[in-house]
Order: sequence, then C-alpha cells, then structure tokens
Amino acid sequence: MALLSSTVPPALRSKRRRERARTLAFLSPWLIGFCVFFLYPLVSTVYFSFMKYDGFAPPTFTGLKNWDYVFTKYPFFWKGLGNTLWLVVVMVTLRVVFGLGIGLLITKVKSGAGFFRTAFYLPYLAPPVAATMAFAFLLNPGTGPVNHLLGEFGLPQPGWFTDPSWSKPALTLLAMWGIGDLMVIFMAALLDVPTEQYEAAELDGAGPFQRFRYVTLPSISPIVMFAVVTGVIQTMQYYTQAIVAGKVASGVIGGSGQQFEPGYPHGSTWTLPQMVYNLGFQRFDTGSACVVAVILFAISMAFTSILLRRKSGFMTED
Amino acid sequence: MDITRRSRRPLAAVTTLACLGLLATACTGTNSGGGDDGSAAGKDVTITFWHGWSQDNEVKAINDNIAAFEKAHPNIHVKVVGNIADDKSEQALRAGGPDAPDVVSSFTTDNVGKFCSSHVWADLGPMLKKDGIDAAKTFPAAMLKYSQYQGNQCSLPLLGDAYGLYYNKTAFAAAGITAPPKTFSEFAEDAQKLTVADGDSYKQLGFMPNYHGYETAIAHYLGQYGTGYFGADGKSNIAGDPTVTAALTWQKSMVDKLGGFDKLEKFRTGFGDEFSAKNPFTTGQVAMSLDGEWRTASLADDKPAFEWATAPFPVPDDQAATYGRGYQTGTIVGVANGSKKQSAAWELVKYLTTDTDAVVSFANAIHNVPSTVAALNSPKLDADANFRTFIDIAKNPNSSTTPASINGGAYQVSLQNLSYDVESGKQTDLKAGLAATAKEIDDAVNQAK
Amino acid sequence: MTLASSALPRKGAGTVSSAAARTARRRELLNWVAVHSLAIAAALFFLLPFVFVFLTSVMTDQQALTSDMWPHQWQWSNFGKVWSTPGFLTWWRNTLLYAGAGTLLTIVSSLPVAYALAKFRFRGRNLALMAVVSMMMLPPQVTVIPMYLFWAKQLHLTGSLWPLIIPMAFGDAFTIFLLRQFLLTIPKEYMEAARIDGCGELRTLLRVVLPMAKPAIAAVALFQFFYCWNDYFGPQIYSSENPGAWTLSYGLESFKGAHHTNWNLTMAATLLVMAPVIVLFFFAQRAFIEGVTLTGVKG
Repeated sequence: MALLSSTVPPALRSKRRRERARTLAFLSPWLIGFCVFFLYPLVSTVYFSFMKYDGFAPPTFTGLKNWDYVFTKYPFFWKGLGNTLWLVVVMVTLRVVFGLGIGLLITKVKSGAGFFRTAFYLPYLAPPVAATMAFAFLLNPGTGPVNHLLGEFGLPQPGWFTDPSWSKPALTLLAMWGIGDLMVIFMAALLDVPTEQYEAAELDGAGPFQRFRYVTLPSISPIVMFAVVTGVIQTMQYYTQAIVAGKVASGVIGGSGQQFEPGYPHGSTWTLPQMVYNLGFQRFDTGSACVVAVILFAISMAFTSILLRRKSGFMTED
Repeated sequence: MDITRRSRRPLAAVTTLACLGLLATACTGTNSGGGDDGSAAGKDVTITFWHGWSQDNEVKAINDNIAAFEKAHPNIHVKVVGNIADDKSEQALRAGGPDAPDVVSSFTTDNVGKFCSSHVWADLGPMLKKDGIDAAKTFPAAMLKYSQYQGNQCSLPLLGDAYGLYYNKTAFAAAGITAPPKTFSEFAEDAQKLTVADGDSYKQLGFMPNYHGYETAIAHYLGQYGTGYFGADGKSNIAGDPTVTAALTWQKSMVDKLGGFDKLEKFRTGFGDEFSAKNPFTTGQVAMSLDGEWRTASLADDKPAFEWATAPFPVPDDQAATYGRGYQTGTIVGVANGSKKQSAAWELVKYLTTDTDAVVSFANAIHNVPSTVAALNSPKLDADANFRTFIDIAKNPNSSTTPASINGGAYQVSLQNLSYDVESGKQTDLKAGLAATAKEIDDAVNQAK
Repeated sequence: MTLASSALPRKGAGTVSSAAARTARRRELLNWVAVHSLAIAAALFFLLPFVFVFLTSVMTDQQALTSDMWPHQWQWSNFGKVWSTPGFLTWWRNTLLYAGAGTLLTIVSSLPVAYALAKFRFRGRNLALMAVVSMMMLPPQVTVIPMYLFWAKQLHLTGSLWPLIIPMAFGDAFTIFLLRQFLLTIPKEYMEAARIDGCGELRTLLRVVLPMAKPAIAAVALFQFFYCWNDYFGPQIYSSENPGAWTLSYGLESFKGAHHTNWNLTMAATLLVMAPVIVLFFFAQRAFIEGVTLTGVKG
C-alpha cells in the first residue's frame, strides 16, 4: 500500500485511474443523495438555527436568540425531552425484554410453531397510523373493548390515551404489540447459540435459569446491545404513533380546525420530533425548529457512534 | 500515497460545490399577489377555495352556497376543496405553489394574528372600502374583533359559535329547581343538587367542571368574566388580571364541591365521544353542560329521553349585571396574499360573508350563529327558542372572545397547561404559576416578533 | 392429552429405569403445557386486536359505541362505504405509486452502491460506510426544514408525490446497508470467475451478482415497499397541502376526522389500509423474515 507514485508503472496507474472512475460511477447515485439529502440540509439546519424566518418573509440573522428561547424560555422543550427520556428508559427496555421473551418462547414451541411465529410477527406489519387508530379504539375509555373486559373482571379501567399518566404506558403497549422485528432477530440469535454449550452446562447441573444466565445471555449479548442502541435511535424518531394517538384521543384531527393541544393529554405524549413539526410547520418559527433539530441530531449521532465503534460488525477486514 | 489522495480530491470538490450551490440558492422571496385578474371585466376566472368542513351535511351546505355564488357570477368558477386543517392551508400559502388556494377559511380564530401579521392573508380593509362596506355596521363587534389584528382586517367572520348553558329540564324538575341558574353561586348550588352518587361514582353529575370536559376549557369559562388577556402594552396581563385568578379559583372550588378531581376525572374518562349520541349530556350522565349552539341540532336529532333547554351560561356573582353574555368564536374566511386572482377571490369572500341571504341560509343549514347584524335580525332565520338563546348571546355587547395574537393560540395553550396543573393540584401557588405563565406567553410573543 | 404427549420426543425407553423415565417425561409434558399455554396467551395478545377491529368494522355505527362485542347484524356494506368515500381511491392510487416507484428506484440506485461498498477496495470506503450508517440512523425531522424549503421554494414541488419519490433515485441508506451485508457473503471467486471471462464490473453485477442476490433484493424491496406504504411523516410534510396527493396513511387520519364517531367505518378503513401489507407478507414471508434477520445478526 505504501507504494510511492514514482515507482508505479504507467500501466498500473491507468488501471487504477479506471478503477477510480468505476468506483465513483457506482457510488454516484448515493454521493449525490448524500450531498443533497444529508450534508446540505444538515449545514442548512445549523444555518437556520441562527436565523429568524417564518417561511414567508426573507430570513434575517438573530444570533443566539432562537437557542436562548428554546433552552430558557420554551418550557415545552424540557417537557418533550423528559417524555423522550421516559420512552427511552421504559419503552426501549420493555421492548427488548419482551422481544427476548417472545423470541425464547418461539424457540421452545414445538407444536404449531409456524402459526405462532406468524401470529407474533403480524402486528409489526400493521401500518403505524392504522395500528395507532386501532389501539385508540381498543383503549377508548368509554366505549372500547379493553376497558369493557377489565370492567368485567373488576379491574381498574384507566383512561389510557386520555389520561396523562396512562398515555405513555398505552404507547408502550402499542410498541410491544409490534414486537415482530425484535422477535425475529432474537430468535435467529438464540438458534445460533451452540447446543454443546447447553449440554455441557446441563451436565454441570445448571438449571434453566442458570443456563440462560451463563450460556444464553453472554452469547446473545451483542444482539441485545444492538437492539438497545437501535431502539434508542428509533425512539429519537418516535413521531407517528404519538401524534396520531394524541389527535385521535383529543378528537381534534383532520379538518376539524380546532386548536390541537400538542402532546395531548397535557403534553404527556409530546416528543422531540413533534416539536420540530410543531415549531416549524404550525408555529412557523423555523429558527427554533432548527435548534431542536440540531439537538435531535446531536443525540442520535451520539448513539449512532456507539454502533459505529463496534467496527467489527460493519467494517470489513479484507 | 498521492494517488489515493488525488482520488479523493475530486470527490470532495464535487461535494463542496454541490453543497455551496444549494446553500446559495436557499434564500427565499416573498410572494406577492395581484388584484387585476380581469374578473370584473367579465373574463372567465377559476379560483380555488379551501375549507375545513367535512361532515356530509356541512359539505352540502357550503357547496350549495358556492353554487348560488357561481350562478350570480357566471364568469367566476370556484374549485372547492374540503376537510383541510389550518396548518396545512397555511403551509400551502407560505410555500406559495401554483396549487395554493385563493380563498381560505379557518374554523378557529386563534390564528388570525398569525395570518395578519405575517401578511400571508391579504388585508381586506382596502377592498371593503372600495366596495363601500362599513365593517363596523355590518358585523357584530366581538366577531369583527376576532377577525382582525392590530387594525389589519385580514379576514371576515363566516358564521360564528356562541357558548351557553344546556340543562336537563327533567332532572331540574326532579331536583326541585325551577329556573336555570344566573350566577355562579346559584350554579354551584344547582350542580350539587343535581348530583346523584352511585357508589364511588355518579349516577348523574350536576356539571363536569374539569377542563378536559369537552367544551369546558379555561378560555370558555373566561368568556363569562370578559377577560382581556393582554394589556395595552401588548404584554400578557393574566398575572395582574383578577378575573383569571377568580376563574381558576372558582373552577377549583366547583371541582372540590362535586367530589374532587380524581373522582370526577375517573367519571370523565368514561364519557362517550363528544360529537356523538354518547355525549354525556345526551345520555343524561351530566345534567348541565357548557356547549356551543351546534348542540341544539344534534340534540334534536338524537332525541334524548328527557326534556332539555338552553340559557346563557351563568356569570360571576360580582358581575351579575352582565348575565346573557357568553364566549364567542367562529369560522373566518380570507384571501391569500399570494393569489393572482384577488378580485375574483374577494367577490367570493364578500358574497359569503356579507350577503344576508347567503349567510342566513348557510346558518340555517349547519346550525351556526349568523355573522352579520342583518342576518342575526333576519326573519328567515329559522330559530327555535333553544337556538334563539345563542343568537341573543351573539348579539350581547358583553360577549367576549379570545383576542388575536401574533403567534396564534399559543397563549391559550400556555394558560391551558397551567389550568390543568391547578385543577389536579400539581400547582398550588396560583400567583407564582400565573406569573410564570405570563412570562412564558411574553417570551413566545417576543420570539414570534 | 394423548394427542399432546404423542407430540413429545420419545427417549430410548429401554436404557433408563422406567421410574426415572416417567419423571422425565412428566417434566417434559409439564414443560410442553407451560410453553404452549404461554404461546397461546401471547397469540391472543397479538391477534385479539385484529379480531376486535374486524368485528367492529362490520357493526352498525350505533353498536360500535356500545360494549357489545359481537355484531348484531353483519354490515358488510361498511367496506363499500369506505371504498366509495371521496378521495379514498386517490389515496390508494397515490400510496401505490409512492410505494411502487419508490421501491423500484431504491433498488436500482442502491444495488451498485452496495456492490461497490462490499466488493471494491478503495480509500475512504470505511468512511463511506460510516456515512451510510449515519444517514440510516438520522431522524428525518433533523433535515426536514431545509428539505421542505428546498422542495417548496426552489422546485415548487410540494403538494405532490415528487418530493417523496425523487430522493429514492439517489440510494436509500438502509437498503444500501442491508444489500452490502448480504453481498459480503457471496464468495469473491464468483466475481473473479466472471472477470476472467472478460465481464466488466457492471456486467458482473447484472449477470452474476444479481441472480445470487435475488432473495436479499426481494427482502429489501419488501422493506422499502412497507416503509413507503406506512410512511406518515413524509406525506404529512410534503404532499398534504394538496388533497389530490394524499396517501392512505395521511388520508386515514383525516377520515377519522370526518367521521368523528363512526368507529365502524374508521375500523373498516383501518383494515383496508392494513390488508395489502398483510397479504403481501403472506406471499413473501420467508424472504421477509430472512431480511429482518439480516438487519440484526450481521450488525
């Protein structure tokens, strides 16, 4: 590799030039996409975070005003950050634990495995808007079947999407319903654990829990890690379910024209991505929206770098 | 070494150039429209009208209205698009594409300040003047007020909503109440009398005071106090205005009298949908409710198993003289500043908002309050006694509205959030809460300026 | 029970003492029962929502507001009513167009990139790969404001499907990443053999790699199709300002707005939006699950 250019014979040099052109040609669609749909908007987002711009009149420079506003004068920012944190801690954890549990279950099922696999996987496919709409109906406090069933058994009937302390748990339930992606990943990882290790552990007198703790977990831990990190990044983008649930539950959707209370009920489903939408496309405060976008970028980049650091998975050694 | 370095150079150069080029073109211009579309001279013009109505009967009513307009103006054709939310039409207007609408309407008056101050909606003042229409004489005062911002009349009212009291006459008789309450203390007394417990819940609740009880938002209560929200200096005066403190305190006292927040909230989450036959007033779950005039129509359709009637919502005891007032809001309509067909667009707006027959027939069709003085007094208005209540509220000089603000309804959302904290007991220091909320509102207004 | 136990694997009966064998078998039986009870409970959790949605979709609108769960009369006409709602067909057509064209463009533009990243050796390759992963993980909200301004103010294309479809012609990070992961598993010898036969890289890609990568391409195509079909944020931002360009996801929400309390119709519409995805899944189940596995295991 450390060849000096002077020692490279002309034939090889022209071959390399051809190779370079070829590489560039193969990469070109993505290179353009990278510039136009990634690099440019990123730079531009930072630029607009220092501008006052309402999407109509020409933008003007305002220095740090937008940043000051978002951090010190815009209480909804901290509320949204808090909700996002809640979702990261509770929703991601529960999803990973539940996904692992369902993955384990499916590897143990002996009869009707195909049926169960499909049944467990199916909800993941439901389009998010449709799934959220369905859950808003199922969990509708007054008339939905879930509360009706809970009532039959004499259990408490929460307000779900209409109660600030139950709306995030309801969203978590929805996220656990669509566990299919994690189930398949965990299932594949569990089947990859060498059976000899289990047999050896069993000979040593290890019970099922010990086997799980000392054999299964260590060998699937990279996948658990992967599920957690991608889960966190997905949560940073968590948007559709939260906004649709809020709109449907508050009854303010579509053309009904009433002022939608963002994050209904009482800001409990208000997340960072919704903030970008609300500030940018409802309040038309493009500058502040870009401030939030930059923050969102910084957080998701931090987690992405965890993935990137695990080079072995992505990079090739050859 | 330098081979590989060279190989990266063009790549980097191309990238940088592309990005710089994009940045350079990222500046943006204002769209300005024009008035002379030739429609006045009889040239054929097609304009686009966006509105938010979506229910079948409403869509039919507005289409009938448009058909009548097209008949009167054979050279103007209207392309109607319904079920459009405010933020979408505003987004389209700001983007200023070729498909953007010429005439826009909005169900909420909250955004008027934003529409006017950003000049996304055109000032109709000059057009009114040119056609010799005296707005102050044509439209009721509160309605005129909510359709303008700092003297910029960028919209006009197109039917209105007024809020009043609905009460269950059968339940009233059973509780021995003879007349609807007129003051808050009478109201509290009646609400307690009408409340029938059922274990740890209610068989019948006198009134649902919680702010999420459908139409019982803080802004609607404040309509009974005539709160102004902003001082002369344009700053939020909710911290200094005694009516806001009074309203928050009064609501909290109602909550406590009727069983406490948690118990009421549990009952509330069991309610059926607001716009259905399962509305808690229609089902008899609550005996009194604060609601808009449109409910008269759905109650007539749903035929509940009891007698009902309407009255103005009670007023605070120290403002007993203002009884008859109520909170008012409504639909507004305006012309896009970027429209190239403004004179035809104005013709349509003028017809929809000022033609007495058009306003009356539209009001009759969708059971809203008419929005001109002439239409309010029109004999063609088919109004029974229950609906008449709301017409009188609309005519009442003490009726009030939520004023337009440069950043739309953001100040109402801030106050709403405080109100939830107060009713649930999360915020007990009212003074500090109001001061913080006032600051939050001022900061948001400053940010929008 | 006999049915159940017959499904159990039988151990060599003669070699172990019969008492020990019986305990072992009993334990396995208990285990079997426990596992399958859990599985049935889980299946109920996953499937009951579909059942309720379906039952509601054939109720009358009055019954949908009551707690009765079994339809008094099966009102199949709800589906017809939804189908004939003004706009529904347009949403359907737009969604198909977005998903179809989007998927096609994504595959065509991403495959060469994935191939280059997997099989070419060049300086900056790892950097490019990191960039791909970063793009893949980027929340779309981060770049939405400049992108919206770009489409609205420079190209005047908002209110149409173009801002959703055109970017797909420039490679999709997720697709590139997945295809590259798969292409890594194809032994180099195949490409070298093709090269010795005098094939250029493009022909190697089309003649040798493409046929071998069919299952992976099928998987990423499905992913992309589902992504477009389900996308809500993109249509909400770029196409919603023109009702003629709404997609199903966006339209479904407004459908609920227009039919406030007609839960029966809303649920029928919800089912009609879910149906194509689920049908497609049943046809291509294997390819799909392989694809999901690829996302995790190789990562």
